[in-house]
Amino acid sequence: MNGGSEKAADLRKSAEQGGKPCPFLELGDLRPALKPRERFSERFMPPRNGMLVFDPSRCTGCGTCEMVCGMRNVSRVAPASASVRVLRNGAEGRNFAVHCQHCRKPLCLEACPTRAISRGEDGIVRIDRIFCTGCGLCTMACPEAAPLRDPATQTIRKCDLCDGDPLCARNCPEGALTYTRGKAFRWIKGLRWTVQTLSFLLLVVILVGTFCFFRAGVVSLSCPTGTLQNIASTKTVILSTVLSALALVVLTLLAGRLFCGWICPFGFVLDLVGKVVPAKVRPPRWFANRLNKYGVLAGAVGGSFALGYQAFCTVCPIGTLCRSYGVQGFFRSAELAIVPALAALEVTERRSWCRYLCPVGALLALVASAGLIKIVIGAKKCKKFSCIQCAEVCPMGIIDGDLLREGVSPKVPMKECISCFRCVDRCPYGAAKIRFRWQKGIPGEGRP
Amino acid sequence: MTEENNRLSQVKRFSGAAFCVECGRCVAVCPMAEMYGNFSIEMSPRGIIRKALTEGAEILRDENLWYCTECNAGTDVCPQGVSCRDLVRGLREMVLEEGRAETVASCRHCGKPFAALPVERFVFRRLEKEPMNVLVFLEYCPSCRRALYSRRNA
Repeated sequence: MNGGSEKAADLRKSAEQGGKPCPFLELGDLRPALKPRERFSERFMPPRNGMLVFDPSRCTGCGTCEMVCGMRNVSRVAPASASVRVLRNGAEGRNFAVHCQHCRKPLCLEACPTRAISRGEDGIVRIDRIFCTGCGLCTMACPEAAPLRDPATQTIRKCDLCDGDPLCARNCPEGALTYTRGKAFRWIKGLRWTVQTLSFLLLVVILVGTFCFFRAGVVSLSCPTGTLQNIASTKTVILSTVLSALALVVLTLLAGRLFCGWICPFGFVLDLVGKVVPAKVRPPRWFANRLNKYGVLAGAVGGSFALGYQAFCTVCPIGTLCRSYGVQGFFRSAELAIVPALAALEVTERRSWCRYLCPVGALLALVASAGLIKIVIGAKKCKKFSCIQCAEVCPMGIIDGDLLREGVSPKVPMKECISCFRCVDRCPYGAAKIRFRWQKGIPGEGRP
Repeated sequence: MTEENNRLSQVKRFSGAAFCVECGRCVAVCPMAEMYGNFSIEMSPRGIIRKALTEGAEILRDENLWYCTECNAGTDVCPQGVSCRDLVRGLREMVLEEGRAETVASCRHCGKPFAALPVERFVFRRLEKEPMNVLVFLEYCPSCRRALYSRRNA
């Protein structure tokens, strides 16, 4: 027994007799302990998993995190026994703290031969000391090599987030390591569902048949794809109709395919169906091609040109939904069958109709490619292996999670983006942002 | 040859291999039994110790030396204080100093050997479902991996 352990034992004894709750918080007392902010929303929502976030621009390489972490691990100041390691780069003046990210699908868990690593309900990946043999295969499997080998005892040290109150984050003098639980309240989500519900009620129930064409006094709105077909079938251009179609085009130029994500009644149905139906079936290659929808658009316009009437509009699920309500609508039940038929496509991928087939979306996609806004995702601010929630929630599947894992900021094609802003809403670290097209900065990387 | 024998006896003395009583506790706890389908007594720590004691330098030519993960399990349970980890590590160092590096995985960046090939193959087999861009990290040694990760993120 050396002196350090004896002192630790004394401290532990005093703690048991009703002293401080944890004997190793001595260093924490140097600074006023940050009280975890209790938010109003947390009373109604289950607690979210916490996460250590590291800001390299603030780190001075002082090594306090290593010190307190080693203090917790072996109850003496031993930075080599810490679960966090600061890589110091004096030449460039940049430091980096390597620590466990607590992946959602941990590679170390897969690789451990004795199954000593487990991921708890609280999202913390822990090593069970009883089963750990210190073989170091977790270090070999981790893309970041975050499990560290203690040179004194040859055991593996890995962060366990101090069971939800990390000492390193609490003691970091510069605030480079912080502990966060992400956003408490996702206001975009609530707003989007409200707008979607209201627009569904407005377009389908209150004003029957409004999406395709709507007129109230001088204000008139119409479906741009329907207008194209109308021009093709009648071979005459009516200026007022074209102008009324332009309203949606202007909206798309300003805010991307906001119509698809926020207003479209069929999109609302698809979102509701997607809440229930799991996406499991893999679609065939020929179907899962995003260029298909342009083919459908060309076919619809060409078809109306050849047939002389708007053939596609009779089976368009958006239009059918809009015309379905009321006495008149019940007679169209055969026509209405297209809605559940296309909603059943949700078993393949989320919003597969919007991705691959919708001609309205195709026209808006052409417009949105010249739009005003874009979505940027900064890989440096993102937690990569532990998160990738943006790629998971994206209904159009356009965010490349593999690229994010690699540490490269993916480019989000605004042509395919339906501006639902789920990624922006979901990202706990503020890495996904809405930007104007001409803005160059990426979150976490600064301006070039 | 005498130099090799000297070195070998030094490694054996350092790890205390001569005190082995062949109780088999190290074999009972050895994680290799779960890792490899062809786990055998020759591969187990007891087999390595026995071969090192009885056949001397022959052990350096044995491929069974390269399955060990150099963990603490056998060392922790040994009643005689034999460190099979140190023995295997010492023997492997001897082989590498001879310049025979075909049984180890070397770092793509710094070129240092960091893992035995069967161990690395085991890790790859466990992670075969992972995407390719994650698996490329595994070809770097842990310290280089940390440095690369920090360079991309700092």
